[in-house]
Amino acid sequence: MVSKSRDVRRRLKEKAARKEAQLKTMSDKPSKPKMKWYPTEDKPRKLFLRKKPQKRTKLRASITPGTVLILLSGRFRGRRVIFLKQLASGLLLVTGPFELNGVPLRRVNQRYVIATSTKVDIQSVEIPPVDDSWFKKNKKNKKRSKEELTDTGKSKLPETFVNTQRSIDSQLVPLVKQVPFLKSYLCSRFCLSYGQFPHEMRF
Amino acid sequence: MVFRRFVEIGRVVLVNYGKDRGKLGVIVDVVDHNRALVDGPLTGLARQTINWKSLTLTPFKVKIQHSSRTGVVRKAWEEAKITEQWQNTAWYKKLCARRNKQKLGDFDRFKVMIAKKRKSAMIHSQWKRLKSQQQ
Amino acid sequence: MKGWLHQYSIVGRKIPTEEEPEPPTYRLKIFAPNQVNAKSRFWYFLRKLKRVKKSSGEILNISEVFERKPTQVKNYGIWIRYKSRSDTINMYREYRDVTITGAVEQMYKDMSGRHRARWSSIWVLKAMPVAAKDCRRPKITQFHDSKIKFALPHQCPRASKRKYQTPFKAKRPTTIVQ
Repeated sequence: MVSKSRDVRRRLKEKAARKEAQLKTMSDKPSKPKMKWYPTEDKPRKLFLRKKPQKRTKLRASITPGTVLILLSGRFRGRRVIFLKQLASGLLLVTGPFELNGVPLRRVNQRYVIATSTKVDIQSVEIPPVDDSWFKKNKKNKKRSKEELTDTGKSKLPETFVNTQRSIDSQLVPLVKQVPFLKSYLCSRFCLSYGQFPHEMRF
Repeated sequence: MVFRRFVEIGRVVLVNYGKDRGKLGVIVDVVDHNRALVDGPLTGLARQTINWKSLTLTPFKVKIQHSSRTGVVRKAWEEAKITEQWQNTAWYKKLCARRNKQKLGDFDRFKVMIAKKRKSAMIHSQWKRLKSQQQ
Repeated sequence: MKGWLHQYSIVGRKIPTEEEPEPPTYRLKIFAPNQVNAKSRFWYFLRKLKRVKKSSGEILNISEVFERKPTQVKNYGIWIRYKSRSDTINMYREYRDVTITGAVEQMYKDMSGRHRARWSSIWVLKAMPVAAKDCRRPKITQFHDSKIKFALPHQCPRASKRKYQTPFKAKRPTTIVQ
């Protein structure tokens, strides 16, 4: 083994001396009652997390308010919907409008969407103050009472939901009707036929 | 069957394969049994050798001598008005239509579908009417 | 059509010594896919031709030779020597091309096809453009006609892109295009 150099040895000595002095000063203070036992295992330590504030999801350049989108997954796959705005969580707020094709105000991830080049001018439309929490509220009443279970009729949607949908639909539908064929376009579903490859098509 | 289009010096050809697909050119020289030296100064086709396999002969011809230079080819092309002649052909129009169809967006495709439906409905109704008249 | 061969002009000599302060320099024109291969071929030929080896020599310059007129069809004569399975054979072959490297490429492909000769067993002795009147091979002279005219009797329709090609078709293609 290589012996430590003189310098290193001296430094170590100094360090030990410092520590001793420190201990002496500590012993002067009123000491804590000593623990009777020591844990056999190390305490779980919290890991150091480098947390950064989450960046807002970047909206695809092809999606702007009023863009007609094609939904690709979920219950409404194949439906053409109108994009209203991006929510704080990065999800897209879209609607059918409900009156035309039955797609209500909904949140979708932009990954599951094809943006078309068709745009509806929705500058004049007043977008309802809907945010992510608005959707969570609607999901809250999952617990059903016995009466509801036995009830054969459909459970009713909260009044606020219906009203907001109605207000946005009443603004959007006249705009859609202005453009020829747009109404029937939004009502129809998107599908691929033989020889059509989505990655080679323009939308 | 009689052939009407031949490989000749000055024959106008259409490139149908590779990155120059869809461009017109002139056969300037025959390299060998596989390839020709083709030049298209007015169509953006660089002077190069191209295999017959990726060429289609057109009915047009340009008056040049073999291994003419690009400037001569350009003049002969303009004199023969090849561009105008080509654009009048049904062939060119078909190619254009195909290209335009590829450019259509989703909404345009939908509108085409509606128009097609209407057309066939009209034909069908007329057909029915004529049929009933015959009987 | 972009080829895989390049023509290099390489100048080299023996490293000067006290006994031989000014050794003769040699220049070879070499057809090779890249500079590394060209240098290797240079030493291979030089050690056969002269008593100079790589270990005792140096390369003074290596530069690529480009075709002066790559937009004109020319006839090229290529003199080669190749090792067949039984013997060493000298040959003269002719090709028509726009570049000399293209002609040499054609030669390598032709030799591998007709004589099963490999790259390593072929030496290009000389390659140069030949005037039309000096061409000897009928395969080449048949194209020496300013009013050349022939039909393409069998044209196979090709898909516009390779990915659209299919091995099987529902219909037989029409191969005759008038």
